[in-house]
Amino acid sequence: MLPSETITQLKRIIGKEGVLTTKEDLNAYSYDATSVWTHMPEAVVLPTTTEQVAGVLKLANEKMIPVTPRGGGTSLSGGPIPIKGGIVLCTTRMNKILEINKDNLSATVETGLVLQDFNNALSKEGLFYPPDPQSFLSCTLGGMVAENAGGPHCVKYGVTKQYVLGLKVVLASGYVMKVGSKTVKNRTGYELVSLFTGSEGTLGVITEITLRLLPLPPARKTIVVIFDDMVVAAAAVTNILSSGVIPAKLEIADNFLIRRIEEIMPVGLPVEAKALLLIQTDGSPATVEADSKQISSILKRSGAKEVRVAKDEAEADGYWNSRKAAQAAIYSTAPSVMVEDVTVPRDKLVEFIQKIEEISQKYGLVIPILGHIGDGNLHPNILTDIKDKENFAKAKEAMAEIFDTALTLGGVISGEHGIGLDKKPFLKKAADPLAIEIMKGIKRILDPNNILNPGKIWEEDGTT
Amino acid sequence: MVQHSVLAKAEVEFEEIRKFEADLELCTRCGFCTFWCPVYREERVESAVARGKNMMIRSLLAGNLGYSQEFADRLSKCTLCMACAANCPVSVHIPDVIVAARADTVKARGIGFPYSIIYHWLLPHRRLFGNVVRLVSFLQGIFLPKSEGTIRHLPLFLSALGRGRNIPQIAPKFLRQILPVVNRPPTGVATKLRVGYFTGCMTDFVFSELGKHVVNFLTRNGVEVVVPKEQGCCGAAVFLGAGDFETGRRLADSNLKAFEGIDYVITDCATCTSSLKDYVRFLADTPERKEAYAKFGNKVKDISEFLVDILKLPASIYQVAPEVRGKKITWHDPCHLSRHLEIKDQPRQIIKSIPGVEYIEMPDADSCCGMAGTFSIYYYELSKKIADKKIKAIFSTGADIVVSSCHGCELQLIDGMLRNKMPVKVMHLMELLR
Repeated sequence: MLPSETITQLKRIIGKEGVLTTKEDLNAYSYDATSVWTHMPEAVVLPTTTEQVAGVLKLANEKMIPVTPRGGGTSLSGGPIPIKGGIVLCTTRMNKILEINKDNLSATVETGLVLQDFNNALSKEGLFYPPDPQSFLSCTLGGMVAENAGGPHCVKYGVTKQYVLGLKVVLASGYVMKVGSKTVKNRTGYELVSLFTGSEGTLGVITEITLRLLPLPPARKTIVVIFDDMVVAAAAVTNILSSGVIPAKLEIADNFLIRRIEEIMPVGLPVEAKALLLIQTDGSPATVEADSKQISSILKRSGAKEVRVAKDEAEADGYWNSRKAAQAAIYSTAPSVMVEDVTVPRDKLVEFIQKIEEISQKYGLVIPILGHIGDGNLHPNILTDIKDKENFAKAKEAMAEIFDTALTLGGVISGEHGIGLDKKPFLKKAADPLAIEIMKGIKRILDPNNILNPGKIWEEDGTT
Repeated sequence: MVQHSVLAKAEVEFEEIRKFEADLELCTRCGFCTFWCPVYREERVESAVARGKNMMIRSLLAGNLGYSQEFADRLSKCTLCMACAANCPVSVHIPDVIVAARADTVKARGIGFPYSIIYHWLLPHRRLFGNVVRLVSFLQGIFLPKSEGTIRHLPLFLSALGRGRNIPQIAPKFLRQILPVVNRPPTGVATKLRVGYFTGCMTDFVFSELGKHVVNFLTRNGVEVVVPKEQGCCGAAVFLGAGDFETGRRLADSNLKAFEGIDYVITDCATCTSSLKDYVRFLADTPERKEAYAKFGNKVKDISEFLVDILKLPASIYQVAPEVRGKKITWHDPCHLSRHLEIKDQPRQIIKSIPGVEYIEMPDADSCCGMAGTFSIYYYELSKKIADKKIKAIFSTGADIVVSSCHGCELQLIDGMLRNKMPVKVMHLMELLR
């Protein structure tokens, strides 16, 4: 526990209501959306202003108390787990939209704003913010920037970093710094906005975000495609992408998922199907019509068993709701699940899926696959039980082999979830040793006392 | 032997929670519930939402938390609106676990004064309860300005006295004093069905006019209505709100007895309907009770469900009450009707059948109003914030009247309208009908 004097100081900064210290409340900040990581914080603070965040960090820096930033707590890599105890700095009460600027196609928001609340406000203005992690009902914009989050839309629209124009960041010292701007272009020295984007809460606490927006596409169509074989489906994806049309979303799910979806929220998928592609086209009505036709005909030529175009929005919503529920649907089938986030160049998808199926057979483990196949990002989920030592050890070996495969194919170990706690043993394999040293060096400059989200991204070796 | 008794103690300690352990385990911590939870959306704190409560209860079972005052407080901060469960990707029903955990907490800690007096002693004794309500009504006349509206439960009423809530008048005569036990259709109208009328505390003590109207409407349409004098409180505040299952069983058993031999039990309050049906899920501690509570629950029907699905009245029967003619009307879905019982279409169908009124759907009609009985006593400030969102949604429709069929919701809406100085009238569904 933190000394009572520190708690008193925190209360002075934030107010009594914003500082939690009971065991019951701390317990509720000991987890994220992963199934295996938990650790209790010693205090939770819920600031409402940048000044309060600065006050907390200044105090923590003086007293060398670890501070773990947390948004909606939907991370799939253990990012917001306070693994060193200390303070959880939860941003959920900083959730105002400061500006939606239709003329500049930009918005400035507070860090704790929930993505769906943002989307609801934007759609009223006919505006569009594409990155769409499937935790959109609960994830915060700050968390998205800190993790450089992705989602289905990224095949066409890119990931979070492509939309961040400016940030207000509180550094470990408590210094409040603005980086970037409100402009689409900005060449003012190094790209510090990009440095904080994807920094996983280790370099500073983001408190305000300025985002680039797009006009909301006027039309959309959803295509559901059934295959007898995951590999054939993967090949079809490559055929679509090389044909000159990029869908807005291009998702894959395997037989395990198809059966599970039909179990928990039936949308009329054939349960014997081995693979499902869920595709969305968007744009002007004419574009959507033409793209959908082209995609459908490529799919038929690529061995699709069934190509179904959703009749209306309600039918389409059903499919996308099941996609949104997919991660939880998998999680609920096993005591522990290792959700992976490997990403490969898209010309290697066929090979990669073949390899994952082989690994699943080799270890005798169930490894359902879903993911954003259009951008090469797959989520193999290794079903296991952390209490079953033998099985869990096998699962870890399988995970390592999946990582090795991805790296061999020129891919990466994480496309959008971040390294966090989950993947830090594998960072050494996935990045140049000097690159890791540079990362640590940057961390030392910005956070010399290592108070910000310590214990994440790389394994500690005593030098940091 | 020692180990055996420790195990036995652990089992008793978590007896009710264990019954819902499957739900506890199924939660995957995805956090989607945060988007739908009315309490979380105000407080933005993890212990407010299903995921946080689920993890606290898991920690309790693991021995990392105990039945502390803080634990009890966090459990009581839930309206049981079921929005989390309705939107959960894996259909986890955390509110059930919360109710069960409230019960185990009560067993471990007891219920504090003054609620102990009210739950154990007052609510189960209807005549005594009535006399106390009468006394309080008298005091209200002396000390407080009278306002339009309703009260829900006596505990709420007593507590609200001190907290500035707009309080309704107690009926000059209780329904039980007005109505005979058996009410037959008028001469010339054939008897199609015989039903029991579960009046609930509110209709009995406050809305006696509504009760009379319901009975008249039913008898005119060929339904014989029995109003047993032995019926009592549905127990919502007792077993769902406070987790006092023991008193809940006493209430349940006496209500079952009161309606013995009757095919349908009709209520005009969504909370009563759903609570009577919930006896089997929460209070059935023996095979006999399980069977009896299940049978009883199946007999219980919400008034709109009864009129539309069972009596199948033609639309022409729904004639407009004179004071409602020409008005714009919007419907507020009580949680206990829309999500607990999945009754959403029937009340809308009735309103839309009424000639000479205009129906307007409000945004998020099924979002919780924030009343939730005892919840609004403990957390009146929070309850008001949740209500204000509802009031805003109602106001955005431009409706003259907001209609519901849960007396708890009605009280909350009346209080919300008066606090916000809104001109919208709050009415019960049946009051729209002539």
